[in-house]
Amino acid sequence: MTTDTERVASGVRGALRRRVRQGRDFVDETEPAALAAVVVAVASMAATVVGFLLVSSLTVLPFMVAVAAIGYGWIRHQDVTARVVTLMMTVSTILILALIIVFIFMESIPVIAYESATVFGVSVPGLRMFIEPRWDAVSEPVRYSMVPMIHGTVMVTAIATAVAAPLGVAAALFLSEIAPPMVREAVKPGVEILAGIPSIVYGFIGFTVLSPWASTQFDLNGQGTYLFVGIVVGLMALPTVVSVAEDALSSVPESMKSGSLAIGTTDWQTMTSITLPAAFSGVSAAVLLGVGRAIGETMAATVMLRGVPRLTDPLYNVFYGQETLTSIIARNYGDADGLQMDALFVAGVILFVTVLVISIGSQYIEWRMSRKFGGEI
Amino acid sequence: MAGATQTELVSRDTSGTDAVAAVAVAISALLFGLSIVALADLVPITGSVAGVPTVSLLGTLLVLLGGTVMAFGVGSRLEAVSTTPDTTAGLVAGVAAGGLWLVVGSGIGSLLIGGLGAAVLGVLVGAVAFAATVLPREDLGSTVPIGAFPVLTGLVFLTGTLGPEWVFDLGWEQGASLTAAFVIPVATLFSAMVAGWAAAKAYGGFGARGRHLGAYTLVYLNALSIVAFLFVLVAFTVVKGVPGLLTGAQFGPGVGPSTTLGLFGVELSVRLPFSVPFVMNGVALLNDYQGVLPAIVGTVWLVVGAVLFAVPLGVGAAVFLTEYAERGRFTQAVEVATNGLWSTPSIVFGLFGFAFLVPRFGNGKSLLSGMITLGFMLLPLVLITSREAMLSVPDEYRDASAALGVNRWQTVRSVVLPAALPGVVTGVILGVGRIAGETAPILLTMAGGTFVPGGQTVDVIGGFEFTASPPFVANPELLQATSALPYQLFALITAGVGLGENVANADEFRWATALVLLVVVLSFYAIGIATRYYFRRKLRYE
Repeated sequence: MTTDTERVASGVRGALRRRVRQGRDFVDETEPAALAAVVVAVASMAATVVGFLLVSSLTVLPFMVAVAAIGYGWIRHQDVTARVVTLMMTVSTILILALIIVFIFMESIPVIAYESATVFGVSVPGLRMFIEPRWDAVSEPVRYSMVPMIHGTVMVTAIATAVAAPLGVAAALFLSEIAPPMVREAVKPGVEILAGIPSIVYGFIGFTVLSPWASTQFDLNGQGTYLFVGIVVGLMALPTVVSVAEDALSSVPESMKSGSLAIGTTDWQTMTSITLPAAFSGVSAAVLLGVGRAIGETMAATVMLRGVPRLTDPLYNVFYGQETLTSIIARNYGDADGLQMDALFVAGVILFVTVLVISIGSQYIEWRMSRKFGGEI
Repeated sequence: MAGATQTELVSRDTSGTDAVAAVAVAISALLFGLSIVALADLVPITGSVAGVPTVSLLGTLLVLLGGTVMAFGVGSRLEAVSTTPDTTAGLVAGVAAGGLWLVVGSGIGSLLIGGLGAAVLGVLVGAVAFAATVLPREDLGSTVPIGAFPVLTGLVFLTGTLGPEWVFDLGWEQGASLTAAFVIPVATLFSAMVAGWAAAKAYGGFGARGRHLGAYTLVYLNALSIVAFLFVLVAFTVVKGVPGLLTGAQFGPGVGPSTTLGLFGVELSVRLPFSVPFVMNGVALLNDYQGVLPAIVGTVWLVVGAVLFAVPLGVGAAVFLTEYAERGRFTQAVEVATNGLWSTPSIVFGLFGFAFLVPRFGNGKSLLSGMITLGFMLLPLVLITSREAMLSVPDEYRDASAALGVNRWQTVRSVVLPAALPGVVTGVILGVGRIAGETAPILLTMAGGTFVPGGQTVDVIGGFEFTASPPFVANPELLQATSALPYQLFALITAGVGLGENVANADEFRWATALVLLVVVLSFYAIGIATRYYFRRKLRYE
């Protein structure tokens, strides 16, 4: 145990020393004028970011200094300046993710404190949002429970996955293994265009066509069902599943497939016993990403659901669609303020964390898959 | 797929028995189509087709289909038909048949007994079907349990047990019932699919070749359905949207509004030869025809702003990651962050923009906040595609350039970027198509009222002015709430049935808005896909 920590510590120290040496080399190699320009640019850019965060109207001053420094560096020392500018751009992607995390968490703190519940004499902040199913922003007691929305999101996502996973994987098999080139050239853009149809258009068609239809077919009171929202969201997640799964399937080395075919199997046998098992992790990453898309889908759900944050009765009643984590934000942002607005941010935090975990999980799976075939492609 | 061509040696001659299986496949295709049109209410369940009541027609065809499939299996077992079956149909077929019969069993159970008895009956029937599929030889196992399902469904339809007026109340607190109008087409659909699968297997003579054919039938059906779905979706929107779009439209010389073209100081005023009020007007009391011009202009400016923000950042970051950085913790962190941003739900971007940007740009919803929020969404797409494009530039190019003695940045600028340009451009166009249709992020950051008068169409270029106090540049046009096409559609939906006195035919207006949005977004996609084909062809010929 101690040796492990020591090794990690020495590794960190080594990496640090390498960084410092790299930095010193960079300073030594660079001309002083270029170095000064770059340092001024970085410092004033950092000041700009800080100023922007503090809502200062003077933010524009350091920004202008940064632009001037970069402009000077660009004319006189293009190589160094380009390197530093692109580095700043790279850092900005991490900065944006960090800002998203900080801001949506920060906004949700008040309501988490409000919704504390006492368990065994210990007050746990935010717990009451997950153990009581009551959301009521108007009448006393005012409660902002996430349970009905989590239930809705789970229902919609489960149905969407049941639609998107089998159809998507079958379509990916078709595109990467079965379709003749001509057919593939026609179907592939079709799948891409399916991804391009705006979600509000899906929602509009679902709202005007599917919801009334479902309402008469199942003798429902009013319109809006988890079942059809799930199906529509599944169709919207389909292209994600298809394109990622297709990449995974076509990354299986051709030699493996040829080897199987050479011993006299049919194409289908090769697919089920060689290609699919070999690409299994990639295909499951595709399904995971599809699940992530389905969880985050907003507009179709907002337009098609009823907008009443409560549980369905019984819980597996798919014919009534109440509210999901995404739709409650889109529906209530307008007239919400104070705690209710913060509660919407809690819904956003739950969505963000879930989808981020799914994204990292699928990246890990894909990384393992690329390592597996790394040497052979 | 390697060697996907079938040689003459593999494909056999069609015989009489093959024809029987082919007929079964054809019947199931017919039933599949019928059940789809019945679901869409094009052929009413209560009505009749060519003098025959729809339910009886479906029932007869189902019995015929199931009977043919079962007869083929039995015939094969009795060696009357020459096939090459395996010893068992396999677990996949077993699970399919078992699951199917489990649903049938528990359905019948809940009609007759209800409660726990239904579940028990379902499991029992499912288990029997599973055993009947897995245990006998493949020709029996893959046809009899599956063929029995359409026969049962058909008989239920024919005897009137499940007639056009059938309703089953699920008895839940929030009331819902299963009606014949839903159950009959769906049962037919599933029967047709599983029987078609079994028939295709039979056509292939069972065994490996039969399973190959069976699976291919389903996979082709799936691909065909996706394409058909896309086609129906687009066609439906076009058909519904065109009347609203062309309300009051005129074509012919001199009917349109006049535009002024200025060139080298010479100003030329031209009257357009067409007038389409829906895309040329805003909404105002005195308009003859109402339109969505402000939303279209809003969408255009949104896209321009997001591209100006995201493309330099994304491409620059991609350059650093591919050309300068060594692979390590830092690049890994950037990759994780990029993919995390890519999959972050759009509504979360909206929340972020609301909390972060709105207070910093005039404390109200504004076009600028919308632009930057969408820019945040576009950034990971641009970064990922640019990076892939730069990685696919061969290292020889870089080495050749470096051998000339130029520095790293000159190599990037004059070798890597031009070579990667096609990929970057395609990625940007497809990404723009994606964000142009987004509603959720601009909902919280930018969107104003339901209707924007034509006079309030944003004019970003004319809005710039200089001020004496920091930040010295101001543009009130950028800081006001405006509309965009996706938001316009959302507002029209939530506004309810009537849209007030301004819009005469609310439904037509909505569909026309949806059509314009679809056209705008899909044209980005069409351009992106066409660009990719163009560059790919060019690369191939070089």
